Amino acid sequence: MVCAEWKSCKRGEEMTKDDTNPLMRDWRILVLIAALILSAASIYLLPPAFDKGIQGNVQLGLDLEGGSWIQLEYKAELVTFETTGSVEELLLGLSEDLDTEVSLIETNVVEIRKPFTQEELEPVFARYGATITRYEIGVGTETAETVKRILEEKINRLGTRDAKVNTLTTFGGASRYIRIELAGVDMITAQEIVGQQGRFDIRIQTTGDETDHVLYGDAITSVGNPTQNPIGSSNWGVPFTISDEGARALREAAIRTGATDRPMEHELMMLLDDEIVYSAPLSTDLAARLKVEEVRNLVASTGVGEEALNRAMILEIHLRAGALPVDVTIAGSGSVSAALGEHFKTMSIVAGIIALLTVGLVVYYRYREPSIVIPMLLINTSEIIILLGIARYFIQLDLAAIAGLIAVLGTSIDQLVVITDEVLHEGKVPSPNVYLKRLARALGIIIVAASTMIIAMLPLAVMDLSSLRGFAIITILGVLIGVIITRPAYGKIIMAILSR
Amino acid sequence: MAFDLYDLVNKYPPKQMMAVPLVITLIGLIIIGANLMISGAPINLGIDFAGGTAVTVMSDDTPDQMEAYFAAYPLISIGEGLNRGNYLRFGPMSDEDFRSLSRDIAARYPDAKVDQIGESFGETLQQQALIALLFSFIGMAIVVFIAFRTIIPSLAVVFAAFTDILITAAIMDVIGLPLSLGTTAALLMLIGYSVDSDILLTTRILKRQGKLEEKLKNAFRTGFIMTTTTLSAIIALLVVSWIGGIEIIMQIAAVLLIGLLVDLMNTWMFNAGLLKWYVQSGKAAKGVKR
Repeated sequence: MVCAEWKSCKRGEEMTKDDTNPLMRDWRILVLIAALILSAASIYLLPPAFDKGIQGNVQLGLDLEGGSWIQLEYKAELVTFETTGSVEELLLGLSEDLDTEVSLIETNVVEIRKPFTQEELEPVFARYGATITRYEIGVGTETAETVKRILEEKINRLGTRDAKVNTLTTFGGASRYIRIELAGVDMITAQEIVGQQGRFDIRIQTTGDETDHVLYGDAITSVGNPTQNPIGSSNWGVPFTISDEGARALREAAIRTGATDRPMEHELMMLLDDEIVYSAPLSTDLAARLKVEEVRNLVASTGVGEEALNRAMILEIHLRAGALPVDVTIAGSGSVSAALGEHFKTMSIVAGIIALLTVGLVVYYRYREPSIVIPMLLINTSEIIILLGIARYFIQLDLAAIAGLIAVLGTSIDQLVVITDEVLHEGKVPSPNVYLKRLARALGIIIVAASTMIIAMLPLAVMDLSSLRGFAIITILGVLIGVIITRPAYGKIIMAILSR
Repeated sequence: MAFDLYDLVNKYPPKQMMAVPLVITLIGLIIIGANLMISGAPINLGIDFAGGTAVTVMSDDTPDQMEAYFAAYPLISIGEGLNRGNYLRFGPMSDEDFRSLSRDIAARYPDAKVDQIGESFGETLQQQALIALLFSFIGMAIVVFIAFRTIIPSLAVVFAAFTDILITAAIMDVIGLPLSLGTTAALLMLIGYSVDSDILLTTRILKRQGKLEEKLKNAFRTGFIMTTTTLSAIIALLVVSWIGGIEIIMQIAAVLLIGLLVDLMNTWMFNAGLLKWYVQSGKAAKGVKR
C-alpha cells in the first residue's frame, strides 16, 4: 500500500524542520495567491458585478445565455490574376461581361461581386489576355468592413442589446463568412433582422415643415463609398446614382417647389423608416443644372474633416437602406432559448462540481491521506478560478469551452499526481536538495506534456472553427496557468506538508 | 489490487505485449477502410460537416410523436437522453424549408436549441478540421522528438498517439458516434492526453536509474492513477451531460472516454513493450545520458 509507505517514511526520516513560515514567503505561493486574488477581483469586482449572479463578469456564449447566431457566406470571389495587357481594360471588360461590380483590391487581385466558378471565369479572363492564378470565395477586407458596418448599424437601429458581428477570414486572406450573434433574440427575429431592408424615402421641403415625396429607395441604383469632393480635399460626401424615373421625379419636384431658384428654402431630405437621416439644400450648381436637364449622378455632401467622414460612412449605409453591397446566403444558423440556456448553465456548474468530487474520490483512494488530497483539490479549484479570471477578458464561455474546462481539471490532477509520485519516489520523502531535483524532473515531464497539449490545440485556437475556438483557448490557457502558476506552487506546498 | 494489474500484462515477453494493440490497430484500420468505401468518409460525418440541422428539445413527447410532427422534413434520427432531453438530426434542406422548420419548432417546442449548418459551410469546416488535425499531429511529433532526441522512443510515442486516434475513430464508427466539431476537438485533445502518459513512461524508463521491472511498475502505478483520475472527471462529465441533454459535451466526453481507454492499452502494452525490448536489447545505452 502506498499510503502505508509514505506514512512510514514520515516516521522513518526526521526532516530538518523547515517550518511553514517560509512557505508564505516563497515566490511560487505568493504568485498563486496574487493570481487568485486578481482573478476573483476580475470576475466579481472589475467592474462590480454583484447583480449578475454566479457568473459575475465571465462572458457567456449564446448556448448558455440564450440567443441566436447566423453565419452568412458571401456570393462573391477574389481572383488573383497575371496579365501582360492593361489591367484597366481587364477591369472594364470583366465588369461588362460579367455584369457586376468588379474592383481591384490589390495590384493583381480583383473582387467580383457575383458568384462564378473558376471554370466560368477562366475564358472571360482569357479574353483580356489574363490568366487566373488563384481563386477564392469571399470578399476583400474593405468590403467585409463595409458589410460589418451595415449589419451593426441595422442591429443598433433595432435596439438589440447585445450583438456581435465578426468577419471570418480564411488563410488566403479572403473574408468568406460573416457571423452575427444576437443575445436574447430568437431565430425568427434574427432572420428578419438580417434579411429585412429599411424603407428609404427622399422628400423635398415645400413650405416650413411641410415636405413632398420625391422618390423611394428603389430608385437608387447604386451607392459608392465615401469620397473626397473634390479629390484631395477634406470635403466628404457619398456619391450615388438614381434611375431615369428617379432623376425625372427629382427634377420635376425641384422645379415645382422652386428649389432650383431658392435652394436654401427647400432642403432635400432623406428618411429611413420615417426618421430623417440627412437633410441639406441643393448646391447652386446642381440647382442650375436641374433647371436644364435631369441629373442621375448625385453626391450627398457631409461636410469637412474627420467627423464628416464618419457621417458619410453612416449615410452610405442609410442610402443602401441596410441592403448589403454583396449578395449573401445563410451558411449556418442556430438558436438557444433563454430557458434552455439557463438549464445548460446549471448543468455545467453541476458537471464541474461532480467532476471535482469524483476526481477527489479517486485521488483519495490512491493516497488515503487528506493532507495530500485536500491541497490537490484546492490547487485544482484555484486553477479553474484563475482560468476564468483571465478568460473573462477575451473569450466567451460556451458549452464546448465548459467541456474544455473540465478536461483541464482532469489534466491538472494528472500532473499533480506526477509531481506527488515523483517526489515520493520509493516512498521516502527526500532531503530538500534531492526534493528540488525531483520536483524539477517532475516539472520537466509536465512541461513536455503541456507543450504537446498546447501544440495539439493551437490549430483550433488559431483557426475559426466556430465553437471550437473557445474550447482550444480554454485548454491552452489552463495548461499554461498550470505550468506557470499552480504546479510549482503545489510542489512547494506538498513539500512543506510532507516534511512536517 | 489495482497496482498488481500490471503484472497481468507485464509477465508476457515484449513482442507479445505489443502484438495485441497492433492486431487491434489492424482491425481498426479495416473498419475505417470499410467505412471509407461505404460512406466516403473514414468516420461518419455529423451535421457540422455534412450539413443539416440539429435540434435539442426538452419534451415529454415520444419519438413517434416527434417523428409524426416533423414528417415533412428530412429527419435522420432521434436520440433520447435522460430527463426529457431529445436530440433530433435533420439532413440538409433548402432555406425556405429551414425557415418553416424554425417556425414549426418555435410553435411546439419554444425552448429548443437549434443548430443548422449549410452543406458548403460544412465542407469548409471539414477541410479546416482536417488541416487542424494534421498540424496538431505534426506539431506533437516535433515536440516529442525535441524532448527525447532518440528515434525509437519518440517514434513509439508518436505511433501510440496515432493508433489512439485510429482505434478511437474505428470504435466511433462501430457505435455510431458521428464526427462533429465536438468529437474533432476531443480527438485533438487525445493527442495531448495520449502523449501525457507516454512521456511519463518514457522519461521514467530512459532517464532514471534502477531496475527496468521496478521502473516499469512504478511508472505504471503513476500512469494508471493519472489516467483514472482523468477518466473519472470524464465519466462525471458524460453522466451529467447525458442527464442534462447537452449533446456537444456528451460527444466530447464519450470520445475522450473511449480514447483514454484505448490509450491505457496502447501505452502499457505497446509502448511499454517496445521500451522494454529497446532497453533489453541494449540499444538504449547510447541514448540515455544527456
